[in-house]
Amino acid sequence: MWRVIKSVLAAFFGVQKESRRHEDFSRGRASHFIIAGILMGGVLVLLIALVASLAAR
Amino acid sequence: MRMRLVWTAGLVACSGLSGSVLANGWNMPVGVTDVSREIHSLHMTIFWICVVIGVVVFGAMFYSLFRYRRSRGAKAANFHEHTTVEVIWTLIPILILVAMAIPATATLKTMYDTSEADLDVMVTGQQWRWRYDYLGEDVAFTSNLATARSQVSGESAKQENYLLEVDEPLVLPVDRKVRLLMTSDDVIHSWWVPDLAVKQDAVPGFVNENWVRINEPGIYRGQCAELCGRDHAFMPVVVKAVEPERFDAWLAERKEAAAQEAMGVDREWELDELMERGEQVYGTICASCHQPDGSGSPPAFPALAGNQAILDDPDYHIDTVVNGVSGSAMPAFRSTLNPVELAAVITYERNAWGNETGEAIQPAEIAELLDEQ
Ligand code: HEC
Ligand SMILES: [Cu+2]
Repeated sequence: MWRVIKSVLAAFFGVQKESRRHEDFSRGRASHFIIAGILMGGVLVLLIALVASLAAR
Repeated sequence: MRMRLVWTAGLVACSGLSGSVLANGWNMPVGVTDVSREIHSLHMTIFWICVVIGVVVFGAMFYSLFRYRRSRGAKAANFHEHTTVEVIWTLIPILILVAMAIPATATLKTMYDTSEADLDVMVTGQQWRWRYDYLGEDVAFTSNLATARSQVSGESAKQENYLLEVDEPLVLPVDRKVRLLMTSDDVIHSWWVPDLAVKQDAVPGFVNENWVRINEPGIYRGQCAELCGRDHAFMPVVVKAVEPERFDAWLAERKEAAAQEAMGVDREWELDELMERGEQVYGTICASCHQPDGSGSPPAFPALAGNQAILDDPDYHIDTVVNGVSGSAMPAFRSTLNPVELAAVITYERNAWGNETGEAIQPAEIAELLDEQ
C-alpha cells in the first residue's frame, strides 16, 4: 500500500529510482497503481482548488 | 588576457543593447496606475530571472561543448540515471515558478477587484469606433477616428498622432476608481491602453469588467487589439485624465448639453441648423465610405450626390440610414446616432453637393420612427 502511494507520488514528481521501478513492475499489480493514480489525482485537484480558494480570499 | 577582453566587450555590448532597447520604447511602459507599475515591475523581475537562467544554462552548455571537446581527448560518460541530479533539476524550476506565481497572483487579485468604484463607464465596441456611456449620468457619446483619410491614402503628410487621435476622448478623473464595463455591438473588439495596463476583450452579449485608478493627468492613447474587420486599425482609444474637479465640471457640462439635445428632439429645426450639424456628422461618420463630396466609390459605395433613388423617396433614404442595408457594408445607425444627428445627416445629404430638395427632415419625425420600430 505505502509502496504504491510512494510510486504514484514519484510519478507525479516525474523522477523514479530505476531499482524501485523494477520492483514495481515485477511484484506490483497494475490495477493497484491505476486505482491509486486516479484517487490521488482527485486529491491533487482538490488540493489545488483549496490553495486557489485560499489565495482568492 | 585576450579572452578577458572579448568577454568584457561582449558583456558591454549586451548591456548597452538591452539598455537602449528598454529606453527606446521597445519595452512595456511603466504606465500611470499602481497596477501598471506592479505589472511592469513583475515583468522586469521575471525578465531578469529568465536572463539569469538563460546565461547559466547556455553558459554551462557552451562551456561543456568547448572544454570537453573530442580533439582534447574527452570521453563520453556512459551512466544511465542519477536520481539526485534529477530531483535537483526538477525542484529548482518548481521553486522558481512558485516564487514567480506568488507576486503574480497578488497582482492579478488586485486587477480583478472591481468593487467599490467611484464611477462606472460602459465601453462598447462598434465597427469601427468606441462608444462610452457614463452610467447613471445620462452622458454618452461615440469616439471616432479624427485622422483625415487623406493622411491614410498618402495624399497629405502623416501628423504626429496618426491613427491615434479621436474627435472625443474618454474623459476620466485621476485619483478615483473607475470601473470599465466592456461589451460590443457586433464582433469581438479589445480595448487596449498600454499606459493604463488595460487590454480587455469587448465581446457581444457579455460584459467584461476592469478598472483603473489613474495617478497622473494626461492623454493616454491605445488601439483596438482584436482584429475586427476592415477598419480595425481605425478605431483608436484616447483617454484624457483630468483632475477630479475639472472632471466634475466637464461631466456637468456634458449633462447639460445632453439635456439640451433631448429637448432639441421636440422642437422644429431650421434647414440651416440641420445642414450645419449634418455636415459635421457626415464628415466624421459617412465620408470614409461615401467620400466628403458625396461621390462615393461606385460600385462598392454608391454616390449620394445626384442619387435619384434617395432624392425621390425620403422614406427609403431614412430607412437606409436608420436600419442599414443588411448584407452590405452600409451599417445601421439607429444606435450610433441620436435622432437629431440622424435627421441632420439625412437633411444634409438631401441638400448638399447639388442635391436641392429643400426639405428639412425633423428630429421629431425620426424619434417617432425609432419608437415605432
Ligand atoms: C462602412 C461604409 C459605409 C459607411 C460608413 C456609410 N455607408 Fe452608406 N452605404 C454603404 C454601402 C456599401 C451602401 C450600398 C448598400 C447597398 O445597397 O448594397 C450604402 C448606401 C447608402 C445609402 C443608399 C444609397 C442608395 O443608392 O441606395 C444611403 C442613403 C447611405 N448609404 C447613407 C449613409 C449615411 C447617412 C452614412 C453616415 C451616417 C453612411 N451611409 C455611412 C456604405 C457605408
Ligand atoms: Cu475593433
